[in-house]
Amino acid sequence: MSKPTSNLKDKVVNKAVNSLRKSKRIEQISFASIAVELDVGIDEITSFYSTTEDIFLQAQKKDWESLHRYWDKQIKKAKTPGDFKRAFEIFFERFVETLSKDADLRFELSCYLPECVKYRDKNRIKVKEKFSKLIKRGWPGKDEKVIKRQSELVTVLFYGFIDHIVHIPKNERSKILSDFRNMLNLHLQDRKFF
Amino acid sequence: MKVDVQKKVKIIQKSMNSIRKMDNTVHTISFSRLADEMAMPLNELTDFFLDIEDMFLNEQTRVTRKMVGLVEKGLKDCKTPNDARELLENSTLKLIELLPDHSDLVYSAIFYLPKCLAERERTKKYYRQALRKIIKKGWPGKIDSVLERQTDLVLLSLYGYMEYCVRANQRERKEIQKDFINMINLHLQDRLFF
Repeated sequence: MSKPTSNLKDKVVNKAVNSLRKSKRIEQISFASIAVELDVGIDEITSFYSTTEDIFLQAQKKDWESLHRYWDKQIKKAKTPGDFKRAFEIFFERFVETLSKDADLRFELSCYLPECVKYRDKNRIKVKEKFSKLIKRGWPGKDEKVIKRQSELVTVLFYGFIDHIVHIPKNERSKILSDFRNMLNLHLQDRKFF
Repeated sequence: MKVDVQKKVKIIQKSMNSIRKMDNTVHTISFSRLADEMAMPLNELTDFFLDIEDMFLNEQTRVTRKMVGLVEKGLKDCKTPNDARELLENSTLKLIELLPDHSDLVYSAIFYLPKCLAERERTKKYYRQALRKIIKKGWPGKIDSVLERQTDLVLLSLYGYMEYCVRANQRERKEIQKDFINMINLHLQDRLFF
């Protein structure tokens, strides 16, 4: 995607989020008002987005695709259990670092808008599969059943972590991130899992 | 407002089924549209609820009220560390029993409806202070800073657990509950916390 296109798309997302922050009503966001505020034609916006929901869906996809690209690179580079553990940990760091300033609203919409919920569910499976792979390689010696249960549990906790972290100030995030990673590490050291 | 509980429950059930069939977006569904969809006079809905938001708020607070009742009674009866540990375990079990079939719909809508969102924040604060008391009683000897940090971690984990449970079936809920509570126990046994 060319830079001006990407910039305009980012601006549209920001305007939509600002509007939602003010009105709290998604039905009050219109392509017409965004076009006026950005001084562009409506057709420029409709060439990227079909509906208001689509604005948030594409923003959600963009964030996650970028995160997955980064994560995949780390996984691909990993050779030893230590590398896989690092790839596991680095994912959480990267996730927190790249949260947008409107992460709270974006998170809430991803839990509410039907297309965003569908994407969220699909992405959750993808995230769980990667956790499973990293747990298997980073903490070797576990049987398949344990890996499956621990991957599910780590995914459950991660989604609780997302909900928490987007709702706290930026300067408090690194502390809870570190505690969260330690909690997961302690849990994953348990080879037989109870 | 009328308090014919059976009728109210039927209306909620029917409404949730209709909302699921419609398009799942609460902001596009008016009471009159919902009444049409259910082939029901509008006043049967308005006898019980002010609007859609009121109906979802009712569903949200119904579960919360029961949970708060259970936790408050448990805290009052709590004499030994073991009582507190059992309270935590029983609360996570009770939660999965209390969640209705349409809890996924309620969960999604909460993130958009302002009154529900405010109620969610209020409930989260309640759970935090209740969890702090449970952890302090159940796993004594922790210094305050550890208690605070572990409370935050258990709280965010609990919200991840809730999110999973609203979408899972009863069998999946019970399976994750066991692993979840074991993981929390393991974490809380760490008195000094890293």
